[in-house]
Amino acid sequence: MARAREAVSPSVVIAAAGLVVVVAVPFLFILLQAVFPHLGRGSLAAPFSALAGALGDPKLIGMTGNTLLLGLLVVVLSALIAVPLAVARALFRVPGAVIWDVLFLIPFMIPPYIAVLGWIMTLQPRGYLEQLAGFDLAAFLFSVPGIVFVMTLNTFPVVYFAVSRTVETVGSRYADVARVFGASPLRAFWRVTLPLSTPGLAASLLLVFAMSIEEYGTPAALGRRAGFDVLVTAIDLRVSDWPIDLPGAAILSLVLVILSFGAFLLQRWILTRRSYEATTGKPQDAAKRDLGVWKFPVLALFAAVAVAATGLPLLAILATALSRTISGGLTLANLDLSNFSAILGDTTGALKALGTSLSLGVAAALVTGLLGALSAYAVVKSKVRGRGVLDVLTILPNALPGIVVAVGLILAWNQPWLPVTPYNTALILLLAYCCILLPQPVRYATAAFHQIGDNLEAAARVFGASPLVAFRRILLPLIAPSLLAAMLLVFAVATRELVASVVVAPVGVSTISTYIWRQFEQGSVGLGMAMAFITILITTALPLIVLSLMGRRGNLL
Amino acid sequence: MTGDRAGNAISARQIYMAYGKTEVLRGIDVSMPQGQTLALLGPSGCGKTTLLRLVAGLLSPTSGEIAIDGQMVACPSLFVPPEKRGLGMVFQDYALWPHLSVAGNVAFPLEMAGINGAERQARVKAALDRVGLSAMADRSPSALSGGQQQRVAIARAIVAEPRIVLFDEPLSNLDRELRETMVAELGALIRGLGLTAIYVTHDQSEALTLADQVAVMEAGQIAQLAAPEDLVEHPASPKVAEFLRLGAVLSLTRDTGGWSYGGHALGPMGGPEASAAEVLVTPRALRIADFGTTALSGEVMAVQYRDTAYAVTVRLNQAAPAQTVQISSDTRMRLGERIGLEIVSDRLRWFPARTQAPVH
Ligand SMILES: Nc1ncnc2c1ncn2[C@@H]1O[C@H](COP(=O)(O)OP(=O)(O)OP(=O)(O)O)[C@@H](O)[C@H]1O
Ligand SMILES: [Mg+2]
Repeated sequence: MARAREAVSPSVVIAAAGLVVVVAVPFLFILLQAVFPHLGRGSLAAPFSALAGALGDPKLIGMTGNTLLLGLLVVVLSALIAVPLAVARALFRVPGAVIWDVLFLIPFMIPPYIAVLGWIMTLQPRGYLEQLAGFDLAAFLFSVPGIVFVMTLNTFPVVYFAVSRTVETVGSRYADVARVFGASPLRAFWRVTLPLSTPGLAASLLLVFAMSIEEYGTPAALGRRAGFDVLVTAIDLRVSDWPIDLPGAAILSLVLVILSFGAFLLQRWILTRRSYEATTGKPQDAAKRDLGVWKFPVLALFAAVAVAATGLPLLAILATALSRTISGGLTLANLDLSNFSAILGDTTGALKALGTSLSLGVAAALVTGLLGALSAYAVVKSKVRGRGVLDVLTILPNALPGIVVAVGLILAWNQPWLPVTPYNTALILLLAYCCILLPQPVRYATAAFHQIGDNLEAAARVFGASPLVAFRRILLPLIAPSLLAAMLLVFAVATRELVASVVVAPVGVSTISTYIWRQFEQGSVGLGMAMAFITILITTALPLIVLSLMGRRGNLL
Repeated sequence: MTGDRAGNAISARQIYMAYGKTEVLRGIDVSMPQGQTLALLGPSGCGKTTLLRLVAGLLSPTSGEIAIDGQMVACPSLFVPPEKRGLGMVFQDYALWPHLSVAGNVAFPLEMAGINGAERQARVKAALDRVGLSAMADRSPSALSGGQQQRVAIARAIVAEPRIVLFDEPLSNLDRELRETMVAELGALIRGLGLTAIYVTHDQSEALTLADQVAVMEAGQIAQLAAPEDLVEHPASPKVAEFLRLGAVLSLTRDTGGWSYGGHALGPMGGPEASAAEVLVTPRALRIADFGTTALSGEVMAVQYRDTAYAVTVRLNQAAPAQTVQISSDTRMRLGERIGLEIVSDRLRWFPARTQAPVH
């Protein structure tokens, strides 16, 4: 006979239901569609027939190769740029260190598709570079090296912050010990700091790899002209252009998921196996050494990277936004605020797009915040049977690129037999953003829950609180600071999310990103850039300010 | 079997508890009347906290029944969640909520009971007064010393006036001096409020001071349940005696000439009619004599000053694996000094030989 025991907590039930809707359903439909090519007609006929054909397709192999190549090149270039900067920042007294940190955080917060538009305006024929210096670099930009260059400027901060933090803590905790036992500074670096920092470096490089193979905006804007197709752009082509090929899209998605999941698992494995990132040790500034004669070369390097990653794209965006016409060029007479007044006057639907995106951003932050907190609770704190399944569902979105989520949502909610569906409403965008961004709150909330002793909740229960009251009154307030930071990040990223918006936005609903993308395609570049500038202000500056007030600069990554 | 439970504040019958495959509790039977204090005493890992959490409803037993105030709270067909059991509890790590002030922590049980406004304030103040902390009501718990946090935890446990309060090693995180004053305060508090209490500890002096009944636990079972004085006078097994640190337990064998220890004859000494037995030798059962005049002798290993006399640890010469005994001496003895030990036979306590007796 089954024994009476405590009923499953409502928090766990809500978490499970939410995870199923937000994560399991879209993923499941990708799998189903890949196996059953006629799923769209409600038929399970001819299983695996499309799979065999697609996997042997030389085009698929080529695109997978391109995707891997792009990921690897971005990883290598990111490491080349970030590691020297990070080591200098961690071990030496670099003047203005905190300012460099902020300047390097900005490019990570600017969506790459906006930065790439800035680069196009600068390097294309008759672009700003040609107007100022007399030559253009269009051939470089619209090529694989160009794509790698632009994407690296977006991703290198991940490596920079991870490595500088690890080297700093390891340096002050362990390398100094080696010096006490007689190692010279250089030997201490080679024998202690470097080996202890490798896991952190490797993990951040894998994160960069995962980000690169998922990226849509840059290869879409630059790669087409170069004839460089990656999995993401190919999937987009199959779901947005005639003839629609859903089985093909599902299979490509699956390949992408496997790559991405592999990178994620490897990263987790490295971090759990050998992580020396001392969580308790506070980096100490006192122990840092002077740069001596290297001061100016190092400063020049920091400045060059900051200009390329933050200064140039921002200036190009601002210049374009302030130009009455693009053909008018960089002259004083051509400068005015007409693009901004067009946006604010809402003659082009810009305000509506802004409103849609901001409300979706807030909604996504609230939903993922709640769902993230509840799922992290279920996984970390509850003793529910089957919480392993919930754990997998919270981890899975890490390996689901935006384009895959979008395809999954189309497959799941565009089935003809569904009586009601969020498809073709703004709700489908909300679902997409929630699935893509769920990992952030989960990660923050999980870390926070691990720091809360089990007895704090037990005490609330003994003193009369029901499971939900204990969650609301005790656990939620305790994880609130972390959760809030994560929700802010969700808000910032969701409001300008591009790829899922392009793919699943219903007819007539435009978001910030689809608005900018469309203006650019239609040639109203100034309007698009004015919108981009406003977006950067709202979604980059605002969270940065709030987070720095909360004292968690850099910890974002 | 309702009649059995009537009048008992807490009764647990045949409690089994397993985490997965490992059985942690194996057939626990306890019941305690209103207004009494039961101490659960036992070595680390024997299942004390588990038993307490079962009573609180933070765990549910694999099998067995638990009743509180005659009401069934856990049995095969029923499980009452912790918030419906109306208990107070003091946790080993205090478990004060760091985001609430001291007063907020203490007010929480009242808030959950739906007591608001002036009455809540008055009762919080009264509870804090009782533990001498009303001046710190607005502080954050993290700004208090360990002993003060302990008092807040106690105030929180009693503020809603539960009739039953569970204490999980409440004093184990405090230093010895503070622990001794707190034991006295806690005892007064429990008696003053007429509380029924279960008090978990691994410190035998705490248990013997506070409890009306002491349950000595060992490996998931209750080895002995008795009043403190009975426990000291009549430990039920050598293990209990050892755990209570009443003295040394020696394995003796008997032949025609009487008992002998490690091959050395000790004389008749009474004892059971058996070829082997265990004997508990308390410090009071030994007298110091000149070296060479007694059957038992040893070498002084350590000398500690305690209260008014010296506690002396002596290693027996007659034992093959090292065996020490404790005696009390009015004079300080030198380390390494060789002394004789005389056994006072009528102060010995005999046990049947253990089944897996050490080989010799
Ligand atoms: N969640 C759990 N899963 C598996 N085993 C557990 C769990 N919690 C406790 N145990 C085991 O149950 C046994 C009893 O644990 P319990 O916490 O009740 O011991 P205790 O008597 O309170 O010890 P201590 O004096 O150290 O607090 C221990 O052997 C412990 O390893
Ligand atoms: Mg315990």
